[in-house]
Amino acid sequence: MVDQLPNLGREAEMLAAMGMTSIEELFADIPSEVRMKDDLPLPPPQSEEEILSDARRLLGSNVALGERVSFLGAGLYRNYVPASVFQLVTRGEFLTAYTPYQPEVSQGMLQAMWEFQTLISELVGLPIANLSLYDGSTAAAEALTCSVRVHTRKATQKDTVYVSELTPPDRLSVMQNYCQGAEIKIKLLRHNDDGTLDMDSVSDAVGSCGVYVEQPNPLGLLDGGVTQLKEILGEHTALIVAVQPVSLGLVEAPGHYGADIVVGEGQPLGSPITGGGPIYGIFACSKPYLRLMPGRIVGRSIDVDGKTAYCLTLSTREQHIRRHRATSNICTNETLIALMGAMHMALLGPEGLHDLAVRNMTACIMGKQKLSTIDGVRMPHSSGDHFNEFAIELPGDTKDCLEYLDSVGIVGGFNLSSWYPERTNWMLVTFTDQTQANHIDLLVRHLREWISTLEVAA
Amino acid sequence: MSHLFEHNGAKGQGYSQPAPVLPASEITLPSGLIRKALPRWPRLSEPEMVRHYTWLSKRNFGIDTGFYPLGSCTMKHNPRVNEVIAQIPGIADIHPHQPEHHLQGLLSIFHEMQYMLEVCAGMDQVTLQPVAGAQGEFTAVRCIQEYFRLRGEVQRTKVIVPDSAHGTNPASAAMCGFEIVEIPSRTDGRIDLDALRAVADDTIAVMMITNPNTLGLFEEDILEASSIVHGVGGQMYYDGANFNAILGITSPGLMGFDAVHFNLHKTFSQPHGGGGPGSGPIGVKEHLAQFLPGPLVGKRAAAGDELDAAVDENWYHWYQPTHSIGKVQQWHGNAGAIIRCWAYYRRYGRGLRTMSEHAVLNANYLRHAIHKATKEAGVDSLVVDGAEAKVAKHEFTLSLAPAKEAHGISAMDVAKGLLDMGYMAPTVYFPLVVPECMMVEPTETESKDTLDTFATHFAEVLQVDAETLHAAPVTTPVRRVDEVYAARNLCLRHPYDEE
Repeated sequence: MVDQLPNLGREAEMLAAMGMTSIEELFADIPSEVRMKDDLPLPPPQSEEEILSDARRLLGSNVALGERVSFLGAGLYRNYVPASVFQLVTRGEFLTAYTPYQPEVSQGMLQAMWEFQTLISELVGLPIANLSLYDGSTAAAEALTCSVRVHTRKATQKDTVYVSELTPPDRLSVMQNYCQGAEIKIKLLRHNDDGTLDMDSVSDAVGSCGVYVEQPNPLGLLDGGVTQLKEILGEHTALIVAVQPVSLGLVEAPGHYGADIVVGEGQPLGSPITGGGPIYGIFACSKPYLRLMPGRIVGRSIDVDGKTAYCLTLSTREQHIRRHRATSNICTNETLIALMGAMHMALLGPEGLHDLAVRNMTACIMGKQKLSTIDGVRMPHSSGDHFNEFAIELPGDTKDCLEYLDSVGIVGGFNLSSWYPERTNWMLVTFTDQTQANHIDLLVRHLREWISTLEVAA
Repeated sequence: MSHLFEHNGAKGQGYSQPAPVLPASEITLPSGLIRKALPRWPRLSEPEMVRHYTWLSKRNFGIDTGFYPLGSCTMKHNPRVNEVIAQIPGIADIHPHQPEHHLQGLLSIFHEMQYMLEVCAGMDQVTLQPVAGAQGEFTAVRCIQEYFRLRGEVQRTKVIVPDSAHGTNPASAAMCGFEIVEIPSRTDGRIDLDALRAVADDTIAVMMITNPNTLGLFEEDILEASSIVHGVGGQMYYDGANFNAILGITSPGLMGFDAVHFNLHKTFSQPHGGGGPGSGPIGVKEHLAQFLPGPLVGKRAAAGDELDAAVDENWYHWYQPTHSIGKVQQWHGNAGAIIRCWAYYRRYGRGLRTMSEHAVLNANYLRHAIHKATKEAGVDSLVVDGAEAKVAKHEFTLSLAPAKEAHGISAMDVAKGLLDMGYMAPTVYFPLVVPECMMVEPTETESKDTLDTFATHFAEVLQVDAETLHAAPVTTPVRRVDEVYAARNLCLRHPYDEE
C-alpha cells in the first residue's frame, strides 16, 4: 500500500491548503445512514514479495498444460507465442494507455490497430475488420444481431437466424443472451452423420437474416459444403463463418467464397490460452455491414499539416454517441491482446502462417493415423479432413477414460457429452503445433491400456 | 512515415519454426478448400519487427509516460508485479475445461475475489464472468429481466437512466430489449427526485445510476431515489465506474442497490491496454443470485483424495445458479485480468479505504490547486466548476464556457494545449450536461508535486491566445488530426497498390 500512494504522510498539508483539517471533511456529503460502520473484513495489506509468493504457491498448484502432455482444445489452442511479443506488449506506452480518444498522442496504438485491421482483413478475405470484440462467442453473437439489423427489412424470415446444431452450448448460450433482447429467433441447421452440413437444412435458411457456421466445425471437420453456402443463400442472407485463424494458412479464406461476416477466436494468433481470457474476438465484414457493425474502427487520415495520421472513426455507431441506438454496447474491448495478435502475424509473414498451419494440420493427421490403429476406437467423421481436432468414439465412458489418462499424467481430450449429452462415449482430441510425435504415441499406448482394462472388467 | 506493410523482405520471417511432424505433402485437401493466395502480410525479421513496434510505442502516451487525468477512466498506476504474476504458467497455460482438481489455485483466487467484491459492494453474490464494464451492465440487466419474467411482471419494459449517465447504460439496457426513459439532472448536476417520481410506475424494471455520479458528486438523495424505485417494484442498478471513490466508506448495498458492476480495469488496476482487456464482474443481492451467469465458484471442506490437490482445507468447485441466464462469455471471463486485480487488492487488503481516501484527497486538492493557480495568473474568470459542490469525490468537472464566450477557446483547445505541456488531456465534452466540459480524475497514485505542477500548467494554457491554442498541439507526433476527413475518406486498411 505504502508503495502505491505518493501522498501518504502529506494528507495534513494538502488538507490545510484547502482549509480542512481531516479527511473526513472530504466525505461530509455521504450521509451517515449509508456509511460503512466497520472496517472491511479483509486481510491486512501485503508487500509485493508476499503477494508474488502467494501467487506462485496458488497458481503453481494449478496443472499448467505445459507440464503434461495435453490433447485439450475445443476452441482454445495451445500455441507458441514468440518471446518478442511479450517483451513489446508490456511496454508501458501500450500497456498503460487508455482508448485513443486523443489521437495526437495515441498514434502508436492507432497505427498498430489500423495495421491489425489490415492483417485480419487479408487473413479472412474481407475488406473491413474492427479492432476486436471480447472473444469468439461474443463476436459470433454480435454478428447475428448485425445480420438482423442489415437484412430483416427484406427478409422473408424476419428476425430469424440459423446456427449450426454443433455449436457448443456455451457459445450458443452467449448468442441467445445477445439475441433475445431484439427478439431474434435462433433456429438450428442440421448436420449429416459424417459431420458435414445437411444442405437440405441449409435451404430452409433461405430468406432468413443470417446463417452461422464454423470452418473447421466444432469437431474439427473442414466441410467443403461451407464454400457452397453463399450460392444457396443469396445476397439477402448474411453468411457468417467462424474460423480458427491459423487454419487460414492452408484453408480458403471465407471472404473468397462469399462470407459476409467472418468471426473467430483470435487466441491462436498471439495469445496464450490464459484460462479462456483475456483473448480476443475477430470481427470482419464486407461493405454493406460497415455502418451497422459493432466495435471500434481506426481510419487513416491527415493532420492539419497534411501528414498521415490515424484516428478512431465511424463513432456515430457507438454507445458514447448514439447511446441506446448504438449498434452495440461495447466500449472496452481487447485491444492489447489484438496487438499481440498483430505482432505474432507480423512475425509469421505469409509463409510463416502457412508453415504454422501445416504444423497444426499434420499433427492432427498423425493423430488420426495413429489413433485409427487402436482396436475399439471409432472415428465417426473419418472420411473428412480435419484441422486441430477430431471426434473419436470410445468403447467406454469418456469420463472414465479422461480420469485414467489424468492418472498417468495425460490431459486427455474434451468430453463431448458436455456439449452433446447423448454422446457419452465421444471425445474430442486436439493436436496443435505444440504436439510431438512421441506425445501421440503416449496417448495411443495409454488408450490401449485403458481399453484393455475395460475388456478385463467385461 | 513508415508502416508495417513497407516491410517485404524476400524471405523475411520473424521466427523460425520447427519442422512439422509429417511432411506437408500428407495434407490432401480438396481443391475447393485449398487457399489459393496467402494473405499479403508483411515479411519482417525479428529485429525489424522489434524496431517497428518500439517506434510505435514511442508515439503513444500511457500512464507510464506522464500524468493521465482522464475523468471517468481511473488511470492509476499499474504495478508491474501483476504482469509477472499473469505470466505464471498456472494462469497463462491453463484451459478452462480442465478438471477442478487441476485448477484449485485458480478457483481459490476466484473465490477470494468473489468474496472481496461482495464485501466491498455490500452484495450477496458476485460473478466474475463479464469481461468489460458494459458487459457487466448488460449481464446484470439481463438477470433482472429474468427475475421479473419468473415473477410474471412482464409489464416492466422500461429502464430509467439519468441524462448524465455513461452511454453504455442506455446501450446495454436497449440490448436487453428495454425502452429507455431518460430523466434530466438538476441544474446542480444531481438527480432530480421529482423527475424520477414523475416516471416511476409499475412499468419500470430498473434504474441505472452511478454514485458518485459522472460529475464526481455524491448523490446525497440516493436512499430516497432507491426507495422511490423500490416503491414501484423496480430494481436499482449501480454503475461501478466510479467505485474508486467509496471503497470502505460506503457501498452500493448500503445505498439500496440490488445489482452492481465493477470495472476491475479502473478500480483494481487491470492495465487499460489502449482499450482493453477489461473485466466487469457483477454483484447482486440474494434475490437475483439464482439468475447469474454460471458457473460460480463455491467452497466446502475438502475430503478424501481431494486433500492431495487442495490448496488449503477447502475444496473449490464450480456450480450453476438455478435459474441462470446462461453465459455472456464462452469461458470463465478474463481470468488473467482477475489474477492481476487479485494481486492489486492484496496490496491494500482491509486498507482499500485508504486508497479511496487518497483518490478523493487528490481530486479535491487538484480542483483547489487549479482554482488557486488560475486566480494567481488572473485567468480565473475563464473557468468555472462544472457543478456547484463543497467537495468532489474522485473526479470533478470544469466548464470552459467562459473561455469560449470571452476568447473562443473551447474545452478541446485547452485539451490540445495540455497535450503540448506533456499531459494526457482530461475527458472533454462529457458529461453532456456541462457546457464545454472537462472532467478531471487524478487518481490516488499521483504525487502532490505532480498535481501542483499540472495546476500551474493548466493556468498557463489559459493564458495562451486563442489562435495559438487553435493550432495546438505542435509538439506531438502529429498535429490536430482531421476526424472529418477520416470519416469522409474511409481508409480502414492498407490499400496496397489499389490506391
